Amino acid sequence: MTNSHPNAVRNGSEVPFYRAVGDEVEVFRAAAGRGLPVLLKGPTGCGKTRFVEAMAHDLGRNLITVAGHEDMTSADLVGRFLLKGGETVWVDGPLTRAVREGAIFYLDEVVEARQDTTVVIHPLADHRRELPVDRLGTTVSAAPGFQLVISYNPGYQSVLKNLKESTRQRFIAIELDFPPVETETEVVAHEAGIDSETARALVKLGNAIRNLDGSPLREVSSTRLLILAGGLVAEGLSLRSAVQSAVVQVLSDDPDVVRALGELVDGVLPRA
Amino acid sequence: MTASDPKSPDRFRLLATFIAGRSVDVAEAPRGEAAHTNGQLVFVSAGRSVAEQRREMLIQSALLGAGSLDQRLVKALRARPSVARRYLALEGRRVLAELAGQMPLAATLLFEEEPSTATADESLEMARGRAKVAEPPEWFGVIRPSRLLATSAGPGARAADEELRLEFDPIDLPEADDDDDDGEQSGESKILKLFDNPLFTSRTVSDYLRKMLGNSHSPADGTAGAEMQVRSLRRAQEVGANARPLPTRIRFTDDGKPGAAVGVGGALYPEWDVYNDRYRADWCRVIDFPLTVAADVSAAGVPHDDVLRRRLARVGLGPKVLRGRADGDDLDIEALIDLFVDLRSGYSPPEHVYLERRKLARDLGVLILLDASGSATDTDPDGLAVHDHQRGAAATLAVTLEELGDRVAVYAFRSHGRHAVQLPAIKTFDQRFGAVGRARLNQLQPSSYTRLGAAIRGAGEILKTEAGTPNRLLVVLSDGFPYDDGYEGRYAEVDAYKALEELRTDGVACLCLSIGAATATDTLERVFGSAGCASAATLADLSPQMDELFLSSLRELAAPKPVRG
Repeated sequence: MTNSHPNAVRNGSEVPFYRAVGDEVEVFRAAAGRGLPVLLKGPTGCGKTRFVEAMAHDLGRNLITVAGHEDMTSADLVGRFLLKGGETVWVDGPLTRAVREGAIFYLDEVVEARQDTTVVIHPLADHRRELPVDRLGTTVSAAPGFQLVISYNPGYQSVLKNLKESTRQRFIAIELDFPPVETETEVVAHEAGIDSETARALVKLGNAIRNLDGSPLREVSSTRLLILAGGLVAEGLSLRSAVQSAVVQVLSDDPDVVRALGELVDGVLPRA
Repeated sequence: MTASDPKSPDRFRLLATFIAGRSVDVAEAPRGEAAHTNGQLVFVSAGRSVAEQRREMLIQSALLGAGSLDQRLVKALRARPSVARRYLALEGRRVLAELAGQMPLAATLLFEEEPSTATADESLEMARGRAKVAEPPEWFGVIRPSRLLATSAGPGARAADEELRLEFDPIDLPEADDDDDDGEQSGESKILKLFDNPLFTSRTVSDYLRKMLGNSHSPADGTAGAEMQVRSLRRAQEVGANARPLPTRIRFTDDGKPGAAVGVGGALYPEWDVYNDRYRADWCRVIDFPLTVAADVSAAGVPHDDVLRRRLARVGLGPKVLRGRADGDDLDIEALIDLFVDLRSGYSPPEHVYLERRKLARDLGVLILLDASGSATDTDPDGLAVHDHQRGAAATLAVTLEELGDRVAVYAFRSHGRHAVQLPAIKTFDQRFGAVGRARLNQLQPSSYTRLGAAIRGAGEILKTEAGTPNRLLVVLSDGFPYDDGYEGRYAEVDAYKALEELRTDGVACLCLSIGAATATDTLERVFGSAGCASAATLADLSPQMDELFLSSLRELAAPKPVRG
């Protein structure tokens, strides 16, 4: 195997690597042409964020990313007054900045945010394309390049946290899933900097875990996990210990499940 | 329930599931039996090394995965052990060779010669024939056609579509109401049918009776849209194993007053029977009543635990707006005005002028369930029994939570057989935890046994009906050794586990604290799950992580459930 030349940490300026699986690139381009908001669905670590990065680079726009969390308020998105010296100063939030600049605004894991927070994107997501800033008493209309992208993971959230129907219906939806074996092998090999034989073994293992019937795992082995494992191999670790640290121990804390996964990994990975 | 023994064949579960392509469990066969499978479980020989069990599991799962044990094929092997053996030898080699292409592990077990057949049907044909077939190696195990054919719909299987469909027996349908003279449409009366003579068709008797009794429906039979008749409901003889019986309330009276007026309540609760995979309805009588023994108030002292208080104060479950903060989302106009008034009058206070939303609101109801059974009497080196530790912990927890403004109740539990599970209330949700209550708790003497599942169900019901808060938590203080008459070992563990599962489904979080008990924490972990249980020598050892424990058990309710594709 030719994994001896480690692929050092890359800087962020190069072109994001994304391998299209279906027609998602064309759909996104078409939506961007019209300024339509996009909803990305897909399991954890299947490449949603990377897809948006690649598309922003492709379209030549800035990308502003905000990760949703349950304490996020609308002020975190729109902006707030801060006190400076003897007066109050308005500071734009990331959403307002994106609206003014005409950037792509990517709201990751949107359902994590409280519902009263998500409604601030409503006027931006329909024909109005404007952001009312009630604290300033003004309305900012979106610059031409502005596009709203949100992502969410349908299987992961509990029933309580689902996307409001009125929010959903403003978006066009693109569903992403784990890529097919060939594509995923290529992605893992490229991202981790390993040969395709090792990448293929990892992808085979990943698919074995994903397709388990009645699996005790909350999350399956994502492409991201496989890339992490591949990265460890590229740094000179043996395949088995890389998988043990980057996949098995990550997926579960339950000693029984870890042991059972270990057996599965041992059976599926090539013999040393 | 999971086995915690690292050598248990349970470790092969996922690998077997992968090879078989469907959910399969692995267990040890009774001693002396060879490896086999019944389609849902793969049995490996007991007492062998892990490597030997692994290859036994591998071949049996591979047979399942390749479809070699489909009903169609296995039927042909029934009652023909020699054919089954030859079939196993042929198919085993074939599926192993097939699997070796995908799995390096199988490749290491491969035989030198090529498999002589290419499909399962071909193997079956050859097994029936007279050609010489090499004996299967011992680790191939055996094929048990009877077990494979028997398990298609075992107990506990989900209800199939035809069982769920609502069907009326035409004879039971309420008939349409007709006029007297419209004899043709009303059809034959069922009573008159009894008098029909099959031998000769004279209608004289029936005509006579019809004249006498009339041919109309009785007045109770309503028209369409009338009240539903009793006979249109059918009582189900059996319910599925997935159905959970509801507790049956027991009504008490005391001098003509209902029991609820004096705080006595109770119900018959179901119990899970793990061996038969079903609920036993109305199995345990659980009674809760106020503890009214006379107590010496001088013994009402409860040790305070500052660490615990600080930690529990951090448990926040809902957002709350805080005013006058140094940082936040919005300007607090009031604080801002104050600030400017102060500035103009020549004083410069800190600039705390923001509104902040933080998770601080609690709305938490906690029921502390204290094990008051005799199993908690072992003493530690300081001469303090496990029970003393638990009592102290219950008191400290209750006092701390009450001070923090939560709804708290303290109940003890003990049992003496399934008809006498008692939940004496030391403090109900509506009482203050006064000196008498504290003294009663401190003087509680352990006795009887531990029927944990019934106690959890009873306490859960109290928590659900009386706490009145959106967030509810059941804290069980126990040494985790469920034992009662006819209630021990695996039966008890699974029943308690099931009771907790029911509570979580109903939105009640559960946490188990084992204070002072030196042993058997693995039982607790199996019952409560590793996240929902903690054990330590004293409460003070657990205090620093109490907020984490509370939050993690409450969070479990909102946690995403695994999605089955």
